This record gives sequence, structure tokens and C-alpha cells, in this order.
Amino acid sequence: MISGVVTHIQRFSVHDGPGIRTTVFLKGCQMHCPWCHNPETYRREPEIQVFPERCIGCRACAAACQHAAHEFSGAAHRYHRERCVACGKCAETCYAKSLVLVGEQRTAESVVAEVLADRPFYQPAGGLTLSGGEPLLQAEFACEILRLCRREAVHTAIETNLAWPWEVVEPLVPLVDLFLVDVKIMDDAAHRAWTGASNARTLDNLRRLDALNKPLVVRTPVVASVNQRPEQIGAIADFLATLRNVRQYELLPYHPLGKGKHEALGLDRPPPEFHAPTAAELAALAETAARSGYVVRVAGAAQPALDRRGVTPVQKSPH
Amino acid sequence: MALLVQTEISYDARLEHLRKRKEAQTAEKLRRLGPMNEDDYGMVLPPEDFAWQPKPNHPNGSFYGLQGWADNFCDLLACHPVYVDPMDALAGRYMVLLNRLRKCNWPPEFDYDALKPDQQRYGIISGIGNDAHFAPDYRIGLELGWGGLLAKVRRCRAAQGRDKAEFYEAEERVIRAIQGWIRRTVEAIEAALERETNPALKANLREMAEVNRWLIEGPPRTLREACQWIAWFNMASRTYNRDGAGGQLDELLRPYYERDRRAGRIDDEDAIFLLACLLLNDPHYYQLGGPAPDGRDQTSHLSFLILEAAHRLKSTCNLTIRVHDGLDPRLLRKGVEHLLEDRKAWPRFSGDKALVEGFMRNGYSAELARQRIAVGCNWMALPGLEYTMNDTVKINVAKVLMVAFDEMLLEEPRPSVASLWRRFEEHLGRAVLCTARGIDWQLDHQHLNEPELLLNLLTHGPIERGLNVTHGGVDLYNMCIDGAGLANVADSLAALEQRVEQQRQISWEQLAEHLRNNFQGPDGERARLMMRTAPNYGQGDSLGDRWALRVSQLFTRLVTEKPTPGGRRMIPGWFSWADTLRLGKQVGATPDGRRAGEPVAHGANPRPGFRNDGAATAMVKAIAAIQPGYGNTAPVQLELDPGIAESDNAVDVITSLILGHFALGGTLFNINIVDAQQLLAAHQDPSRYPDLVVRVTGFTAYFANLSPEFRQLVVDRLVRGC
Repeated sequence: MISGVVTHIQRFSVHDGPGIRTTVFLKGCQMHCPWCHNPETYRREPEIQVFPERCIGCRACAAACQHAAHEFSGAAHRYHRERCVACGKCAETCYAKSLVLVGEQRTAESVVAEVLADRPFYQPAGGLTLSGGEPLLQAEFACEILRLCRREAVHTAIETNLAWPWEVVEPLVPLVDLFLVDVKIMDDAAHRAWTGASNARTLDNLRRLDALNKPLVVRTPVVASVNQRPEQIGAIADFLATLRNVRQYELLPYHPLGKGKHEALGLDRPPPEFHAPTAAELAALAETAARSGYVVRVAGAAQPALDRRGVTPVQKSPH
Repeated sequence: MALLVQTEISYDARLEHLRKRKEAQTAEKLRRLGPMNEDDYGMVLPPEDFAWQPKPNHPNGSFYGLQGWADNFCDLLACHPVYVDPMDALAGRYMVLLNRLRKCNWPPEFDYDALKPDQQRYGIISGIGNDAHFAPDYRIGLELGWGGLLAKVRRCRAAQGRDKAEFYEAEERVIRAIQGWIRRTVEAIEAALERETNPALKANLREMAEVNRWLIEGPPRTLREACQWIAWFNMASRTYNRDGAGGQLDELLRPYYERDRRAGRIDDEDAIFLLACLLLNDPHYYQLGGPAPDGRDQTSHLSFLILEAAHRLKSTCNLTIRVHDGLDPRLLRKGVEHLLEDRKAWPRFSGDKALVEGFMRNGYSAELARQRIAVGCNWMALPGLEYTMNDTVKINVAKVLMVAFDEMLLEEPRPSVASLWRRFEEHLGRAVLCTARGIDWQLDHQHLNEPELLLNLLTHGPIERGLNVTHGGVDLYNMCIDGAGLANVADSLAALEQRVEQQRQISWEQLAEHLRNNFQGPDGERARLMMRTAPNYGQGDSLGDRWALRVSQLFTRLVTEKPTPGGRRMIPGWFSWADTLRLGKQVGATPDGRRAGEPVAHGANPRPGFRNDGAATAMVKAIAAIQPGYGNTAPVQLELDPGIAESDNAVDVITSLILGHFALGGTLFNINIVDAQQLLAAHQDPSRYPDLVVRVTGFTAYFANLSPEFRQLVVDRLVRGC
């Protein structure tokens, strides 16, 4: 049986592809975008999230831990992440959910069984979306999940940064109905600086998938001071204009959801202060993005919705 | 007939005026009456100096029986203020709920003290003394008009003989009282006509007067007359006893609409305005689409116009789209679009495939079952054919469980979940029997307490037989029993099985102590959270889901395996209405981590926070699985963030969710699209959101008109995830 580490499985996922979907978040990512609002997917290994405000001081965690990772001084709880092996025993006894284990080793079969639970709701367009982190960090596991879903005639989509050798991507081709691909920045130096990885493979793989006529949805997380300038979005749009199989181009405004998670995960450096673009900036970027020649959406909404509301839509997609 | 007047004031402007006036009336109701905690009902308040009070005919200061009701209804209508708005297409509003002016709603001589110990013990809402809650057949009235109904009553009186004279006399009097109310309204319209200076509004008032003058005696001939006739019946019936069942509105009005269109009397804009005025007059439970008796889909052009009318009205509304295999998919899609765009919690959707198949399980034909429609909060009825006591009879199964739990701990040296289940089964059986006896008591005596003088008129049988609908007036008695607190019982049993028996995290005695102490103290809170986080109902194939199914199957068996002692069939459902607060106050702390006095779970819903992701699919799948399956409902009450509405995907998503639920056996689907932040802000200061409409349970209401406790219920469901 092929297994991997799953962050969580989201049923009734409605912002990660068409229809009602089940999104399976695999743990770990080779990029560490500092604006990511799912920093719990940075690392591949299971880890403990700590929410001190929920602690009721029952000390059950200290009793359950064999590695002295939990200490109490009076009612005050102290967690020693360096001692923790993420076995999850403390989280099992923490009914207040002050301690939460993120990441679970699962077999592909068990994941697909959960995906199939919502099959009655997948008609006519829904299905599975494999997400992350970066699902191809666990490529064998990802392919097995996709293969099993394919066998069950469940529509498959994958959210990926495609920053992989073609040999890693190619096996997906017969297994995936829709690729949802992040293109964050066209300038490779800037891309490297912000994400820690080059975008060359991403762009190359997009061209290859396009040549194979695979349906593509391209997404750009728009972050003020990172990639909110019209020329930056325009460069991506111009690249997309060279492709033929992009179903839509989505701009996803930054959401600060990840900030609290950074603290809960005890990550070394707090994330920089990012901001979402204003509604006016988004509207202008959407116009620029339209140069791609494809349908442009902002946070899943068509442009009239943006104009009508006059406010920045809330980003729902946890990618 | 004159054309409906296309005034210089646009229909949109007139609707805006009417909507604002209704909002002002709603604010006035809140000021004078306080929170309503129920449907809007379309009632407006009488002038502050209107001081009519009923005349008692009983030493206890209340009034009962044919004469008591006829006397007071006629007396009230003789002085009931009349209401005319030149902007409205329809005349009239009602201002008094007569049944609520009684000091006591049950004659003390028909005491049922023998039933009360078990009713209190098991948290039974008996329904004794409750009225309406079955459906009229409007076609009877539309065909005959008030004059025809009066003639029918007189004809049947002559046929039935003297011993039914009091019954027929009362029926005659209420009709004449309604005719008098209409007559006085016509005079008011004529007076308004004299005062009105706007030519367009004058023309409207002139036609309004003609319509109502005709309707004093004659049956409606046009769409405007039909809408006005329905409005008059609704207003009269509301005044009498708050009846709010509607009907298959598209089919009821289609002949009038088509006739008017063929004759060139109206266009669709006229029709939409008329329909909007009808919906404004009263948010009755109206149905659209769905199967005709022969199974073909009833969706018509008028179905879409009614949706459009509600869309333009943008007020409280209780339209239901009847989803079945043959439904025109455009009607479902249009309904979902309005749900998402207007965010007024309408329409709702009934799953007629499961409802029809379920009702047939009682031995009825498909043709009959297809006529049974969702004409109340949760409830189904055959218009004009059956008496049901729908939504008035409930058993608090959480209370029953705790009776069994306390008894077990008292009597058993070695408690167990198996023993608890046996005792629960026994007590639930007793609760069902006690409830059944209460139903019999109601059916044997209600005609002496509160005859259904209005609804009898639009029911097949009572007038013909001279018998009240509750007392042999109809052939079909399918008596409703709803369970309430399903999720609390299922989650309690799951928590006991897992935490106490499987994991041995806590002993029975320790848990009982925590329950007695209402989970006080740090240890109590830890115990509460431990029990609370056991696998819940709604998580998906969980221990809680399995217990919920078992509880529902037990309840269904106990309700359906035999009739009441009086021989009446009972039909089970799961629904708490807005009684979650009242029922919760009856029950101490429960093993699912619920504190004493907190509300019981809502209807068939899992408890708030049932899953971390709050997945709607998991919830609606769970609710589909526990359907009793005999033609009554166990509804989904789903709250969704408006973020979903802003996606291009939204209509497809909601449509798939609804169809998926119904394909799995679901029966009724209510959806609120409400912004959590807006709801919280409205909870803090309701006066800032006078037009915020939410579906509380089966009914929609202005959020501002709910009490803080009721507002909290809606807030909890939305903010904590269903």
C-alpha cells in the first residue's frame, strides 16, 4: 500500500475547481512563499500546532508525553518543540484542541475512501482536488490517489507549482483532468528571491501540458509589494497568451490567515507584513490580466461581482 | 374588466414604497409587542387606541366552542380596522390574532391530567389545544367565492338536519362577517378614491374597489381577483387562528393568469406586481413546480413569474420549489440564483421523490402522495383532504435519554450503554404512547374547544358532513409526531460508548457526578470537552452517525408500528421548530458535553461545530441517512457564508448539494446565506439591520424581530458551522 502524509481533507470544497470537490491537502512544499496562508504545509513531517488561548490547564499533555515536551509552571503551559517527536499523543488527550497534530500518515486507499464519501454531490462537475503544500513532493502517493480516483470515474484536479522535472509531471498527464497551476512571478530572480525556487520548470511544464491539450487554470496569489504591479501581472498574462488550453486566469488576493498559524507552529521567523491589494488595484490588475485573452476571475468571482461590491473579495482557496 | 393600471409610478417604485412601509410596520411591531420569535405572518398593528377584547363564554374568562368562536370572530371583524394603500394592488391587512387573545386555550373540563406526568417527564409537546397546522384546498374557495361558500353551507345545512344547526350557523356567520369586512373595505377604498389626486393611483383604487365589490359574493374571474380572494381568506384565517398553510400557488393561479393573458388584460409585468403584492400581504407557505397527481411536472411560466415577484419584493417569503426527477431544471436553477443573489433565505426546496415514496409507505397511492406538499415550517399535508396536527406534537428525546440514564444509574450496579439503550427504548415507547393518547384527546375534544370554522370551508368534507375537520370532517388522519434532540442523543450515546466503555477514560459514576454538577470546575470542563469531542453525528460514518441512525430507526418503528389507541395513524419526523430553547431548558447536562439548560440540537441537524471543516456535504448526507421515511420531513437547515455566493461556481454548487441530498433520500432543504460578520453586528444592534431576513427554522423572519436568545441560535449555527 502506498501511503503519504496528509495535512487534512476538506469536503465541500468549492473554490478549488469546478463543482463540489473534496480537496486533499498533502503535507510539505519545496517552496516557502512567506505569504502562504497554509504554513502548516511547509514541512513534510507531522508537527504540533499550539493554540495557547484554548488551554484549560488540565496537564493531560504533560502526562501523555514521553519526551517531556510539555511543562507547566502553575497553570502556564510551556511546549518544547525541540523535544517533540510529533507522535501526537498529547494532541489525542487535548480535548480543548489547544494542541493539534498537523499531518497524518494515510494510505491512498483510505484517502480515496473519504473522497468517495461525497460522490453523490460531484455531479455534474465536481470531484477530487489534490493540493498542498505541493502534492508532487509526494509524487508516488499523489499519483496513486489520482489513479484510484480515475478508476472510480471521479473528476480529478491538482493544484501544483509544477516546479519539477518533466519526468515527475509526466505521469500525471493521463490521471489529471484539470491542472490548477500557480504562476507567482515571471521574473525568475524575483521568483527565486521570494519563493526559494526558480520558475523555469513551472513555465516549461505549462508549455508541455498545453501542447498535450491538458486543461489549465492558472492562478496568481496577488500580494502587495510582491507582485501587484500591473507590469508583473501583465508579464504573466502575456505568457499565458502564448498558450491555448488555459480555461481561466485567477487572481487570488493575499489573505493574512497564515500569520496566526506561524505562531502556532513555532516557526523561527515571523512572516513579513504583507497586504492585500485594494479593490481598485485588483480591478486594474484584472484588466491587465485580460490581456491573456482568457476569462479572468478574482478570488473565484467574475469581475462584475468585484465592481458591485467595491471591496476586496475574501480569498477562500487555502492554497 | 379594466386593465390592471400601468401607473406613472413604476411598479418598482410602488414595491419600494410597500417594502419600506412593511419595514416600518415591522419596527412598530417590535416596539409595541417586543420580539416575536416567529414568522412575520404579514400582520400589521391596529391603531394604538384599538381596544377590542373577546367576550368570554366560560367562567375561566376564555371562550370556547362554535358559538364562542363565531361570536368573537364576527364581533371582531365588525370593528376590525380596514386597510387601504393606493400603491398596493390588493386591499386589506389583518391586525389581530384572535386565538392569542384567549386566556386559556383548553377548556378545563376536558382535563388530561392523567397524561401530564409522562408529558412532563419526557418533555412532550402534546399539541392538545393547538389549532390549524393542516392545509386548505384554495380551489374550493376560488371556485365558489364567498357567496358560493355561503350557499354551500346553507345547502348542506338543509341536507344534514337540525342537529348540525349550530355548526352550520357558526359557519354561515363567519362567512357573512368576512363579507362585511370586505364591504367596509370597499367603502374605505371609495373614500380613498375621493381623496386621491394622482390619476394613476385613482385608477388603481377604482379597480381595487371593483375587484373587492365583486368578491363580496362572486368567485374570482381574473388574476387580480384571485390574488385578492386568496389574500382575504388568508387574512381571515390568520385573524381566526394564525393558520399559515399555503398551497401550490402556480397551479392555483395559472388558469386566471392564462385567461387574462389570452384576453390581453395583463402582461407579465402586471402579473409580477400582482403576485408581489400577494406575497407581501402574507408570507404563506406556497409551492412551485413538482409533480402533478399523474407525475408530470407542474412547472409553468407562472412558476417563474412567482419567483420573479418574490425577487423584486425582497422581503420575508416562504416559497418552496418541489424537486422531483421530472422538475424543469430551469426552475431549480432560477430558485438557487435568487437564493444566492437576494440572500433572503428563500426559496427552500422539498425532496418530493422521497416524500412521495415515503407517504406511499403508509398505504396510499402515488397519485394521492404527489398531492402532499410542504405547507408549513417542516410539514407536509394534502390540501383539503387530511388533518395532521403538523409541527405541534414533539417528543424531546434528549429528555427521554436522561430519564433512562438517571434510572439506570439508580438501579444498576453495573451500568452499560446496552442497558441504557434498552431503557431508552422502553421510555421512548412510553413517551410515544403518551403522545398518541394526547393526539386522541385532541381529536376527541378539539371541536368543542376550537372549531376550525375558517379552514373547514376549504376542506373537502366538513361542510358536507357538518363535522369539524378534527372530528370526522375528513377521511384522512395522519398525525404528526416529531422527535427533537436527535443529535444530543446520538452524540451522548457515541461519547458514552467511546469514552466510558471503549477507552475507559471516565467511569459512569464520575460522569454522572459531572452531569449533576453541570461540568463545573476544571475537571468538569475537561470531562465536558472529552465527551464533546467524541465522534459526532454528522462527521461521516462516525460512531455518532451510527447512533443517530439507530435512534431514528427506533423512533420510526415506535411511531409507526401501531396507531394511537383511538386508531389514528402516526407519522414520524425530526423537527424542533424554534422550540430548541424551551426543550433545552427542560434537560440537565447531557453526556454529549451539553451544559444544563442549553438548547437541544436543531431539528435533524448535527450540533454546531460537528466537524472542523463544517462540510455541508457531510451534514446533508448525515441528515439524509436518518430520514424516518414515511412522508414527513427531517429538514436540513444550512447556513452558508456569502463567500460562496460570489463564486461563478455557486449556483452549480448549491444545485449539486440539493440534488445530492434529495438523491440520498432527503426531504426538505432550508438555506441561509448570511455574512457571519454582518450577523454578529446585527446581533449586537439589530436596529441597524431592519431588512436582514433569516430563515430561523422552517420560517423566515426579520432578524431584528427575534429575541436575543433566538438571534443567538442563528448566530451559533452560522458562526460555529451549521
